[in-house]
Order: sequence, then C-alpha cells, then structure tokens
Amino acid sequence: MADKNPKYKSEIQQMMFVSGETGEASVETTSLIELIVQQQVMEILKECTALATRRGSRSISTDDLMMLIRHDRAKLSRLRHFLQWKDVRKNVKESSDDKGPDAEIAAAEEGPAPGMNGPPDLKKTNKKARVDLAWDVPSYFSEFVPARDDEDDEEEEEQNSATLQRLKNADERTKHMSREDYMHWSECRQASFTWRKGKRFREWAGFGGITDTKPNDDIIDILGFLTFEIVQTLTEEALVVKKIEDAYKKKTGSETQGQKRKREPGLFDLAEEEKEPVQPSHIREAFRRLQKSNNKSKAMLNFTNHVHRAALRLI
Amino acid sequence: MYTANNPLSQSLASRQPHYSAVRKSGSFSGPPRIRTPILNDAIIHSGPGSTSAGTGAEGLGEEDPRYAQFRDRYAQSEARLFALCRGETVVSKKRSADEMEGSLPNGQNGHAEASSRPAKKAARTIDEDDYGDDEEDEEGESIKKSPLSPLHTKGKLPNNVFHGFGSPMVRVASSSSAAAEQAVQDQSKLQDELRKRLEQDKKKAEEAAKRSCFTLYYTLETDRDAMLEQQKLDELDRQIEKEMSGQQAGAGASGDNAAHQGGSLSSSNLGASSLTLKHLIKRIDAKRGIVRANDAQLRTLINEVRKNRSKWANEDKVGQEELYEAAERVLIELKAQTEHAAPFLQRVNKRDAPDYYNIIKTPMDVGTMLKKLKQLQYKSKKEFVDDLYLIWSNCLKYNQDPNHFLRKKATYMRKQTDNLVRLIPDITIRDRAEVEAEERRQQNGDVDIDGVEDSDDEEPIMASRGRKAPSKGKKGSTAARKAPPGGSEETPATETKPSVPPTLKNEFLRADSDAPVENGFTTPPPGTLTPLGPHGVTGSQVDGSDADGGASSFNDVQTGHIDDADIDDAEYKTWKQVTKKARALAAAERNRLFRGNEINPEEPALLRSRAGMRRWLRGRKIASQEGEPTDLSVQAEAKESTPGMSGETLAEGIEEEEELALPDYYDVVSAIPDLDDRLKWEVDADGQVVDQAEECLRVVPPGTFTAPESALTKKMDANMKQIQDTRRVCAKIGIVKQMQQQAQIYQNQFQKYDPIPFREADIGTHVVSDDGPVMSPEVCRAAMQRSVAKIFFHAGFEDYQPSALDAVTDLAGDYFKNLVKTLNVYKETPQVKVPAPAGSESELIAQPRFTDEEILLHTLDVNGMDVGQLDTYAKDEMERLGVKLGVSHERMKAHLAELLRPAIDPTHGPDGAGAFNDGSEQFVGGDFAEDIGEDFFGFKELGLDREFGLSTLSVPLHLLSSRLHQGYQSQNATTTPMTGETLPQPDAFKPITAENITDEIGLIHGFFQDKLRANGNQSLIEDDDLPPKQRFPKPRLPPTGKITSPRKRPIREQQQLAKKKRKLEEGKDDAGGGAGAQPSTNGITKTANKVAGRMQLKMPEPKEPAVDSAHDDGSVMGMMSPESM
Repeated sequence: MADKNPKYKSEIQQMMFVSGETGEASVETTSLIELIVQQQVMEILKECTALATRRGSRSISTDDLMMLIRHDRAKLSRLRHFLQWKDVRKNVKESSDDKGPDAEIAAAEEGPAPGMNGPPDLKKTNKKARVDLAWDVPSYFSEFVPARDDEDDEEEEEQNSATLQRLKNADERTKHMSREDYMHWSECRQASFTWRKGKRFREWAGFGGITDTKPNDDIIDILGFLTFEIVQTLTEEALVVKKIEDAYKKKTGSETQGQKRKREPGLFDLAEEEKEPVQPSHIREAFRRLQKSNNKSKAMLNFTNHVHRAALRLI
Repeated sequence: MYTANNPLSQSLASRQPHYSAVRKSGSFSGPPRIRTPILNDAIIHSGPGSTSAGTGAEGLGEEDPRYAQFRDRYAQSEARLFALCRGETVVSKKRSADEMEGSLPNGQNGHAEASSRPAKKAARTIDEDDYGDDEEDEEGESIKKSPLSPLHTKGKLPNNVFHGFGSPMVRVASSSSAAAEQAVQDQSKLQDELRKRLEQDKKKAEEAAKRSCFTLYYTLETDRDAMLEQQKLDELDRQIEKEMSGQQAGAGASGDNAAHQGGSLSSSNLGASSLTLKHLIKRIDAKRGIVRANDAQLRTLINEVRKNRSKWANEDKVGQEELYEAAERVLIELKAQTEHAAPFLQRVNKRDAPDYYNIIKTPMDVGTMLKKLKQLQYKSKKEFVDDLYLIWSNCLKYNQDPNHFLRKKATYMRKQTDNLVRLIPDITIRDRAEVEAEERRQQNGDVDIDGVEDSDDEEPIMASRGRKAPSKGKKGSTAARKAPPGGSEETPATETKPSVPPTLKNEFLRADSDAPVENGFTTPPPGTLTPLGPHGVTGSQVDGSDADGGASSFNDVQTGHIDDADIDDAEYKTWKQVTKKARALAAAERNRLFRGNEINPEEPALLRSRAGMRRWLRGRKIASQEGEPTDLSVQAEAKESTPGMSGETLAEGIEEEEELALPDYYDVVSAIPDLDDRLKWEVDADGQVVDQAEECLRVVPPGTFTAPESALTKKMDANMKQIQDTRRVCAKIGIVKQMQQQAQIYQNQFQKYDPIPFREADIGTHVVSDDGPVMSPEVCRAAMQRSVAKIFFHAGFEDYQPSALDAVTDLAGDYFKNLVKTLNVYKETPQVKVPAPAGSESELIAQPRFTDEEILLHTLDVNGMDVGQLDTYAKDEMERLGVKLGVSHERMKAHLAELLRPAIDPTHGPDGAGAFNDGSEQFVGGDFAEDIGEDFFGFKELGLDREFGLSTLSVPLHLLSSRLHQGYQSQNATTTPMTGETLPQPDAFKPITAENITDEIGLIHGFFQDKLRANGNQSLIEDDDLPPKQRFPKPRLPPTGKITSPRKRPIREQQQLAKKKRKLEEGKDDAGGGAGAQPSTNGITKTANKVAGRMQLKMPEPKEPAVDSAHDDGSVMGMMSPESM
C-alpha cells in the first residue's frame, strides 16, 4: 500500500482547475481527493480482478474495466472514444513520428478540443479501430467479420453527444480566459495520474497487492482516464455543494467572513482567484452525494427486512 | 283495567245508555260477561253517585287542567292505537287531536260534531269516533243530550231486538237502571275492545320484531344471558310443578256443579275459543230463534268442537279459563323481561337479605304467583294483579335507596305490568251454578235502580250483566270492603301504599288527588284509574300499587316520557323478548357442542336438514321482499307467498310452524350459499338433466400465456429473427472457412444450423368455470421462463443452462411481485380530504391520495426504475439493436459472398469455373448438397443461378469444397505462378494417346507404351486431372532439405525394395558403365537416377518404379514427368 504522503498534489490541482475550480485548492483538499481517488482505483482493480477470475483469466483486460462502468453510458462512450484515439495515436506514431505525443494524448483524452485540430487529417488516413464492447452485437455470432467502410457508425453520434456536453462545459469555463490563462488551462488538461508516471501510479494504486499481474498499457491508460474523470466529477459536485452553501450563507447572512465581503463587488476587486477554493468539507459532501445509492440497487430488498449494504460506488 | 274513580266515570256511567245499543248489537263476542262481585259493586256504587249530571259538571269544572292533561295523553295514545290498528297514521292522529282541541274549549260543538259522525257509520263498529264521543260525553255533556244523538236512538233499536231474542242481558237493561247497566256493559265492552287491540298491537310488534330479523343484525351477545335465564325459568317451572304435584287433585274439584244457564253464546264462557269461533257464535246469536237447541246444548257442543282447550278450562268455573290464560301469559311475559325480571323470579332468600322478612311482611315473587296460578288460587283479576304489584312494591319498599339498582328494575317491571295487566280480562271466577242462578233471577225482572244498588252485594247479578265491569278502577270504593277478602293476605294495595317510599310522584299525586274525590286518600287503589278508564289506553297504564287518585295522570306523563326515551330501543327489546326462548334454545344447543373450551368430539355432528334449509330459503325470500318498499300489501303478499312455497311439502311446512322465530344466522348449518342459477339441477320435459354447466364454462381466451402483441414484442421478435438469420450466415461462413482449411470434408462433418423461427406456443384449449384469471403457477412460471429465455436470446445468448434460467426467472418473479406489492401499497393509501370544487354541496370530498399515474410513477421509482430508463431500454436495446443487427447481417452476407467468390469466380484460382462447371455437370444427378439444404451457400441470394444459368443449384459438396480449398490455398500461398494473371497460362499438356506417342522423346516411348497398354490404349490422364481421391499427394521438400516420405509402411517397403533393386542395378551399372558408358555421363545418370528413383517411389503404383528402374534405367533423366515436379 502506498504511504500517506500525497503524491499527486499538482496533478489534482490541475485537474480541478480544468473542472472549474478557479482557486488554489489546499493540500488538505487535494490529499483528500487523492485518497478518494486511490480508494476508487483500488476498488476498480479489485472488481476487475474478481471479474477476470470469474472469466477464468488471471490478468485483467480492458473489457473488465468497461464492464465496471457499463452503467455510466456517457463515461463508457468517452472511454471508447479515448481508446479509439489511443489506437489512432499508436498508428500515427508508427507511421509518422514528427508529431509530439503530448498533443496526441490531449487529443485522445478530450477529443477534438477547441484549438486542437491536429488529428483530423490523421483520422481520415488512419481508420479508427472500433472499440467494441465485449457484450455488443458482434459477440452474438460465432464468426467475427470486420466492419466494412460503407457502414455508417451511429455510435459516433452517441459518443459525440456525450462529449459535446463536456466540451460545452469546457468552453463555458474558458470563455472569458485570456490567452495566457487558456494556455495554462490547456496545459492543465494534460494532467494525468499515469502519464509518464507508470511506476509511481502502479505503486500508488497497489497493483502488486490487489492484482498480481503486470498491467498492460491499455489498462494503465484507462485508469488514467478514469482517475481524471473521478477528480473531475468530484470537483464539479463539490462546486455545486459549495455554491449551494454560499447561497445559503448569503441568505442567512450569518457567515463569519461576511464582514469582510460585505461590500458590493467593486471595480477593483480581484477576479475569481480570490474566491475561496473548495474545502475538504465540500469534497466530503460531494463524495457522500455521489455515494448515495439509488433505488435500483435496493429494489429487490423491498418488502424484506434486509438492510441494504451498499458497496463502494464507483464515481 | 281500572275504570274511572271519579266524577268522570260517574258521569260516564250515567250517560252510558246510548252506548248500550252499541254494546248489544256489537258483534264482538267479548270475554265472558261474568263479573267479579267487586267490579259490580264498583259500578253500582259509582253509578248512583254520578246519576246527576251536575256532579259531573262540577267535577269537571274543578279539574279542568287535569282533564286537559288527560285528554292530551288520551289523544296521544289514541293516535298511536289507531295508527297501529288501522294503519292510517297521520290522519287519525290529527283528527283526534283536532277533536281534542275542539272539545276542550267548546264541548258542545265537539259533541255535536262527534255525535253526528257516528250516524254515518255503522253503529256496530266501534271506532275512534266513538271514543271521541265518549270523551266528549265525559266532559260533562248532559244525559239529556245523548238520547238525542243518533247513537242513542240507534242504540235503542237493537235493544228491542235483543229483547226479542230473550237475551238475559237485554231484558235486564230495560228499565231506568238499564242506563247504568248498559254503561257498564258498554264500558266493559270497550275495555274488551281495547284489550284486544292491545293484544293485536303486541302481536304486531312481535311480528315486526320477527321481520326485523331480516333487516337488522342482532348480535349474539345476549344469547348467553337468555340461555341462563331460560334455564332459571325452567328450573322455576319444574320447582313449581313439583310443589304442586301433590295438590293438583283438588284444583278441579270445585268446578263440578254444572248448572246450565241460558244466554247468548257470545256471552257464555267458551274460553279462548270464543275468539276463534267468534263468527260462528255471532251467527248463532243472530239466528238464535231458528236454532233449535238450548244454550246448554250449544255450549257443550261448542266446547266439544273447539280445539286448543286450555288447561285452565273448566266447565264449572266460569271465567277461569280466560282469566288464567291471560294471567299466565302476563306472567310469562314478565318473566321474559330477563334482565329486569331476574331478581323477582324466586322468593327472596333469607341468606341474601336477613332482614327482608322483617320489613316485608307479605313477600311475593313470580314463582309463587305461578304456583298459585297453577293451584287455581286466584279468583279474580284483582287478586292476581294485586299480587303482581305486591312484588314490585315489596321491592321498592325494601330497597329505600332511590339509586338502588333493583328499584330501577322494579319500576321498569311495574311499568311493564301496567301495560300487560290491561290484557287480562276483568273476570271474577264464579261457579257456574251461581251464575246461572243469578241469571235466572234476573230474568224474573226484579231489577231496578235500587236493585242495582242492592246488587252491590249480589255478585251474581252483576256478573251476569257486565262482562267487564269498569269497576276495576272502582276498587277504591270497594276496596274498603272488598279488598281484604279479595286480596286475601296480600292486600297489597292498602298495605303497601303508605309504606311505599314517598316519591315525588306520590306526593304530587296525593296533592292532586285530594281535590277530586274523597276516596283519593282512603282508597288509594282506585287512583290508578284515569277518568277515561274505559277508552283511554293510557289511563289503564296506571300503577296499582303506589298510585292514588292522581297517580294515573302523572304516571301517564312519566310513561310517555319513558316511552319516548326508549323508543329506539323498543324494537330491540321486543325482539329480545320474542326470540328469547328460541335464542336460549339455540344457545343451549350450541353450548352442548362444547366441553370446556373445546369442541366436544362426542357430540353428534351438525347435520343439514331439508326443513332447515327450506326455512332458511323462506326467510331469504321474505327478507328480499322486505327489502322492497315496505308496503303493507307487499308484506301481505310476502306472507301469503310463503305458505305457498312451503306448501310444496306439507309435512315440512308443518314442521316449520313449530320452529321458533330466529334469524338466519342462528341456523348456520342450514344456510344455503348463493348458488348461481346455472348450477341448479334441472330436468327438462323428457326427464333429461339440463346441462347448465355449459353456460358457466368459459374457454380461456387464447393469448393468456403468450406475450401480448405490442410494438416492443414485435420489434423483439424481429430482432430475434434477424439474429437467427445472421447466425445461419455465420454457420455458412464457418463451413466455408473450414473447407478452406481442410482438404477433405465430409458431409456429416458440419452440423446444419437451421433454426426454427420462434413461435410462442399457447396453452391448449382450456376450459374453466370461473371468471378470474387462470391460476396455474406452473404454467405461469413456464411462461415467465420463456420470456426470460427470449430476453436472453435477444441479448445474444444462444443457449442457456437451465439453472441459470431458473435463477433469473425467480429473480424476475420476485421483482414483479415487489412491483405489484408496491403498486398495491400506493393504491391502498388512505383517501385524503380535499376542498371540493365550487358548486358541490360538501366542502371537503375524499379522494384517493394518488392518481393512477402517480401511483405508477411512484412504484417505478421505488423499484429503481423510471420512465426515462424504460424509454432508453426500448430505444437502445430494441431499436438500435435492431439496426445494429441489420448492419451486422449485411456484413456477414457480404463476407460470405467474398469467401465464396474465389471458388465461383472464373478469374480466381487456377482451375477456374470451367472445371467447376464440368465437374458440376458430372455430378448434377448426385444432389449431394441436398442434404445440407437448398441454396446452402446462398447462391440464389447471390444471384448465381442467373449468373451461370444453372438449372439446379445442387452443388456437389466435395466439388465446391475442393474449389474453395484450392482457392484458399492459392490465395494464401505466396506462389504467384499459380495465379493466372501474372503469366499467361501455358497450354495444357496434350493427353498422351497411342497416336501421339511418337511425338514424345524416343526414350520414353517404351514407358508410355507400357502405360497405355495398362490403360487399355486409352489416353493417359494427368495426375492433376485425377479425381482428388486418386490423386497422388504432391511431394514437398521439407525445410531440412531432406526428402522424407510421409507414407509409412508401404512406401518403406517400396523403398527397401527399390534399394535392393538399385543396388542390383548399380552393381550392374557399375559393371555396365565400366564396360561401355563414359564416366561423366555415368555420374550424371547416377544422381539423376537416384533422384528420379526416389521421387518415383512416392507413386502409389508399386509397379511403376520397378518398371522404370527395370526398363528405363538410363533414360530416367529425360523422362521427368510433369507430375513429379
């Protein structure tokens, strides 16, 4: 198990910044987030190992990971999107090494983000490999037949619609940014738990203990993707919590720092940075909210006396 | 029944004459005319006193307010009476009320009105108008007036008529004393009427109570009490019986002297039968002159004829039967008031109340009374009644505390007694001889007013005249003289009265009664009587024991109130009394079934009886008719119809009569469930049983156990069909791929994939007899399982473990159960009150807490579902899957077509379509592919038949497979020369025949010639053209560079054989070479020979190498055949 020293402070801060947190999050916040993420990753690995074992395999595969997040359609489609682009990048790297890998990764993670129109020409030349889900239609049949070019892939649209919302959010956040800010922001987007930190990540996530196999590249990449998602979801939820709290405080007017902030926002007020960053309490509340189990998981317990004991929910 | 004790009654008596007519002509053969001496005395006593109208008027003037009160009471009771008797409720009430009003302020008018009214009516009918008359008369109308009234005149006429018949009564009534006499008669008759009416009322009430069984549900809680009471009563009876058994003998002894007396039959004592035979008797009375038999004969005749002669009947004791009948009934009634009567049933035990007998000198109880009754100790109504009141007054006396619970019971019982006593005919039992003697005396005509007065003591006379002397009420005056003898030891009235705790009532009454008459105080019992005595129902409700002069009025008031208060409970009370005995029996019956708290197994089983069921049915029928508008006529019909129904079996009907009136639910065993008419057992005209079962049978509609038709299921079915189709294509692809890999395939190597389209089988025709859903858990489960399996298939599974299917089916079942339960919970949420929409009268209306839509949404939510998810499911899992499947199918088909193309496309593969065609033509008849299926490879789909103009698509499987295999090999092999496009295909070798053999090199002539010879001079076939099975495997050079033969034994043998030969040949060669050949060529030849020889060793024909090596030793090199390449 990894020690308690926070290892991903800057990454998490960057991710939070991308997710809309403008302030500088404290170490407490980031380490709390880190702990949460760590717990999530470990849970993911545990589940995956269980799935793989059930399958009769000793090593976990991407299918296991996708199986875990199968209910989150948006995330799943983004993950597939990510994998496709990873594939593309691999092909591109093979064919031409002139492009920097960083740009590729960014493209892969966020899709065609604004201001990053590098990949499109590549996309045309290198046909994207389809990332099929293990339980999708082709699995119905004994023979695998490669897709033909002329088939329109409507899943693309679904993926796009999921990504579009995300892009819209990103756009919303970057709308009022200066050029430098935007540069900073787009750099932050490349923050990752795993990129070029494979070893650290493996130690941190406890690979040796939970799953004894040496994970392949794809798994690590997916986990990197998922951790980014986790931080983002947590931050967004925490921001919502904070917003509600602020609104409440404003209404009741009983906040302690009310004296300081009493005056109307003036002309020379510093911009958003001055704002309070999310506190660990917000993160905790956000985590609690995200952990709240839905009715579906306890539907079968209705009319029984059993108490629902929910396992850790993957964010 | 006590008649007036005061001026009113006197005045009444004084102007009675005009009623005498009514009385005489009255067809009602009342109770016997025999009077008790006491009563007679009373009449006679009061009669003279009231002869002057003045006194009456005086009294009236004095007591106006009280009269008014009386009248009020009277009017009320009257109205009630009429309502009950005639059914005309409101009208009569009003009318009587009107009369009252009218008569109060203006007696004259009232009288005029009243007197004129009877004129219109038949004189003999006594109705409310007569009462009205009476009343007004009482108000002080002078006697002078009454003769003028039509009634009076009418009354006179019949008088004369009766004279003619020689009825003793009439004769007696001829003189001026007749006025009083007739008054007495009239009054008694009225009383009689009243009594009858009361009885009728009672009967009606009982009827009503019985009928109420059908409309009301009475709880069984009182049954136990009833049972216990009944047991007590039985006990009592038995006790009395025992005590009496010894004395019984003497009872009837007194009635032996039978002296017959003439007289109208109607007035003779025929006991209870007089009622039943009244029409006959009336008739006989009317035609008395024609009947040639004397009274005695007639009487005996009737006595013999009549039935139900009661045990009390005694020919020699006039009046005994009637009196005792009534008395006994009263006692039984009182006994039946279980909750109140209980303490009075038996003698007070000294242990319970040690000082009781110190305070109460003359104890009395119902049991004792019964005993006395059975011993025939009562001689008159008065005696009986006195005893009765004695009980209550004793109680009141002993229990002074006004709050004592027994007092309440006593007062209640007294009130009941008041009501009941009126039902007892006022009779004094006398010996017949005495009566007849008196009648004879009267016939002599020596009766006048004085006589009447004299007759105070002459009981016989009075008895013969008045049947029911109003004198009961007159006790007052007589009490002093008569009570002691009459009441014997008890003398309750006089004795108890003073001792009665002075209640408010009494004080008030006393004060009141002081004024009216002198006897108010001295003779308390008379006070019991209202002035209206004869007619006033209320008047007779007076309590004898504690009342003095004015008691009646007050009592009336009181009872009136009580009645009102009790009115809602009255029905229940009546019901309880009426059914008490029956209920007690039923409860006892029930009780017997138990031992301790458990059912007693020893008891005989409860059995259904026909009679019971019939009775139950009848009750049902009545009840159903009751339910309809309660018209009297309807009820009557109902009553009539019931006998008709039970008439089917007379015997049973009779049995029913004996049954006690009890509601259905007491006889649960007999209850008949509501059976459909269809289930009836009916026989048609031919005696065949009508099969009514058919009507109620119902075929389960098809589709109950299949998925209902809907867009979703259609989509699903389409998807599944698509999956199946795609799978079929898949299977072909698999076969084709297999063919490519394998050189040899066999027809049975591939399983046919030929799925049958899914079809949900419904259950067979099934018939049920009820309307509900078919309850068949197994079938339902199977249907569910099938649905689950469908969903599985739809999700891509091809087949499933049964256990997996079971598990998922159970889960799904549980989930749906939860869904339905949740739905139910929401559905059964209590209603809420909401403000009503404007316009409705009530402010709040109750309405379900949730609308149906809300219920559904809630249910879904609680079970982790929402409409969005369902929608997504339908969209994603059904529609999009369908699209995906379609795409997939197309892809598969295209792929298959591509796979097949190398075999069928002439441009692909070295052999091309020509060979294919040739081959197929050869094997057209074989139809090998038939087994696998028509269009197995989808040629038709691909349009091959048109492309190649094939008449049949039967392709020999092995042909196809060889093409495919070769095509695949050639495609995948990198050997480019095989593909015809890169280089032009060389001309095929010409087959070697005997003709063109000369074109070949001379060296191999011999070889070919040998072959040709072996082939029978046919052209030789190239190895490649041989059918595949005969073809030689192509030799390949392994990577090691060493040529090893894949064949084992035969080849090794051949090799060994060849080696030996070669050694021999080499030896020869060496010898020969050394001899003639050049060394250079020799070396070449050697190696070539070696190679050729080894290669040829692989030939299946064992001969050839031998031949080769033997004959063409040196020319091997040049003879390299293409096949060895």
